[in-house]
Formats: sequence, C-alpha cells, structure tokens
Amino acid sequence: MTSLESALESAVQTHDLTLRYGGRSALEGVSLQVPHGAVVGLVGRNGAGKSTLLRCLLGLTLPDSGSSTLLGCHSAALDDGTRGRIGYVSQTGDLLPWLKVWQHIAYIGSFYPAWQAERAHRLCQRLALREDAKVAALSVGDQQKLALVMALAHDPDLLFLDEPVASLDALARREFMRLLFEHDTTRQAPRTVLLSSHLLTDLERVVSHVVLLHEGRVRLQGAWDALQEQHHQALEDLFVAVST
Amino acid sequence: MQFSIQPSAAEPIYRQIVAQVRRHVASGQWRAGEELPSVRALAQAHAINPMTVSKAYSLLEAEGLLERRRGMGMVIAAVKPTSRASQRLPLLAPALQAAALQAAQLGLSADDALALFKRCLQDQARGDPDDDQP
Repeated sequence: MTSLESALESAVQTHDLTLRYGGRSALEGVSLQVPHGAVVGLVGRNGAGKSTLLRCLLGLTLPDSGSSTLLGCHSAALDDGTRGRIGYVSQTGDLLPWLKVWQHIAYIGSFYPAWQAERAHRLCQRLALREDAKVAALSVGDQQKLALVMALAHDPDLLFLDEPVASLDALARREFMRLLFEHDTTRQAPRTVLLSSHLLTDLERVVSHVVLLHEGRVRLQGAWDALQEQHHQALEDLFVAVST
Repeated sequence: MQFSIQPSAAEPIYRQIVAQVRRHVASGQWRAGEELPSVRALAQAHAINPMTVSKAYSLLEAEGLLERRRGMGMVIAAVKPTSRASQRLPLLAPALQAAALQAAQLGLSADDALALFKRCLQDQARGDPDDDQP
C-alpha cells in the first residue's frame, strides 16, 4: 500500500460488526469510520458494548460477522509493524505485579521499536508516578497511571483507552488530557484516539467526534461540535436522551 | 490574555474562544498587534484538543479579527474597537437572555435576579476568577 493510499484511508474502520453472547447483542451492525487525527469519545452505559468494540478492533475478540481495520490492517491479522504503532489501556490494566514500575516499563518497552526510555521517564514525572515502587503495592490510581505510561511511551499513532481515568484524581486526569496531545516534534500526522469514559466532563474537553452506543448499536455518531450545535445539549444530556 | 473555558456548556468550546476574542477586541481590552497564545499553549493550559483552538483561530482569521504574522503566530488585527458602550451592549444580550430564562425557571423575582447580577458584576470588578468550572 502506498503512503498516499494509507493516508486517504480512515485510521479505524468497521463494517457491520456483530457479536452476540447467548442471545444478547453485545454489538449489532456497528459501522464506523474514524478519520486520522480524530479523538473519538465512546459513550454508553455499562454493558452498551464499548469494551467489546475496543477488543474487537484490536483483534482480542473475534466478531460473529462484519470486519474492522486499523491503520489499513485487518483487526484479525495485525502485523508487528502495525501493532507497534498502537497503544491500548484496557479496563483492567493488565499489569505484572511482581515487578517494580521501572522494570515493568523497561520490559514492555523492549517490545516496541519506537520506545524511548526518556519519554517513559517524563511521562512518569508528569503523572507523578514513582518508578521505584512495586507494581503490586501501587494504588488503583497509580496502576492506571502506569498503564497509561506504557500505552503512550512508544508515541503511538493510534491509541485505545477503555475507562482510562476512572481511578485518577482530578489533577492526574487533567494531566492525562494534556498528554493525549503530546508527541515527538518529528511526528507528521496527528494521533488518533478512541476513548471510552463515564467521566463525560473530561471527554468534552478533548473529543472531536463522539459515538453513542446503546445495547450494542450505534445510536448517534459524528463530529462533536456539529452535534452540540444541532442538539444544543451537553454530552451528558445527549447521552441520557439516547440511552432511554 | 486569559480565556475562560466551560467544557460542559451547551456551547462548543471553539465558539466560546471565538466569542471571548470578539468581546475583548470590541471593548479595546485586547489591542491590535497583541499576540495570542499559540495553539499548543492554549490547548495545554486548558487541557483541551489543539484542533479546537486551531478551529477558533482559523475562524477569527477568516473574520479578519486575527492575522498570522511571520515568526509570531496569531496577532490581533488592526481593527477599530467598537468604542461606544451602546454598540457593545448587544454582545451581552445572549448571556443575559439565558440567565433570564433560568431565573424564570427558578421562580425568582426580577429584583432578586438583578441584585444577584449586580453582585456578580462587583465580583468581576474585584478580579475574582471564574475560570474552568467543572
């Protein structure tokens, strides 16, 4: 694929993604197109399908039907090159508790060609995360910070975040919002971000697009400014209106 | 140059920025040649998306209120401030109409609402900050 072709493609694309668990629709006909550089807020109640959608996009869960691509690559067949350009924070964090923070960072970092120890170190400082602490002894909030450091330290082109700030205090959340937009000065294209969060006030600061999910279906999607001007509502009111 | 951003307001953030620049320029508080914070600086200061700031600046540039100066970024263009207060008054109308609606919904008397507005004006004059309400 030429660089022109990949530039014209969406950063994330899904076509009719469907997944059912025992008769219940986890995802139903989800079709999305996320342009490069978009910051997409994934909004919905618990069980609406946000985590499932992110897992399908990353190829961690296979849908029953439909397809999705990340950076032009099929989710079920992500090559190492593409994987190295993606950062992910799951709801559970997926940390290795027996390591110290700096060891954890160094270990995971070794898998990413674009990893920079200096950048990881700066991220820890910005988030006020002590690198000599044992991962097992970290508070839930600090564990979340560590997960964020690891998702950002290789300067990913595509970032997926599942409830990334739920356990962070207000200061750390604000700092996290800033870090979403920080990257190497050498970076040409803006980073594409998909984040799900219950903390709608935080989403409203940073999103360029929103996708509202309800019972596995997309109820509303589009550029956030346009939706706000159309509905004259804050995100929370729109969310409530669509979920009832 | 201080900006006040309310992320949860029904008004998109980029419009809030545009409206604030218009008001400050209309009153003459921000003068021609004054440099605005860079897109990155403003975005970082308020932890908002840089594209939002970029959008606001582009709109203001298209309106002629801002101009891009080489090596400097965005500056206030040479626009005559709307000198008479009576010409600037209509710019306040939208905010007051919204407040009047809320007062009616709360069942407040005009006297009570006006007294409250007067106190708010006095707070502003004293320089009490009101930035970034959650």
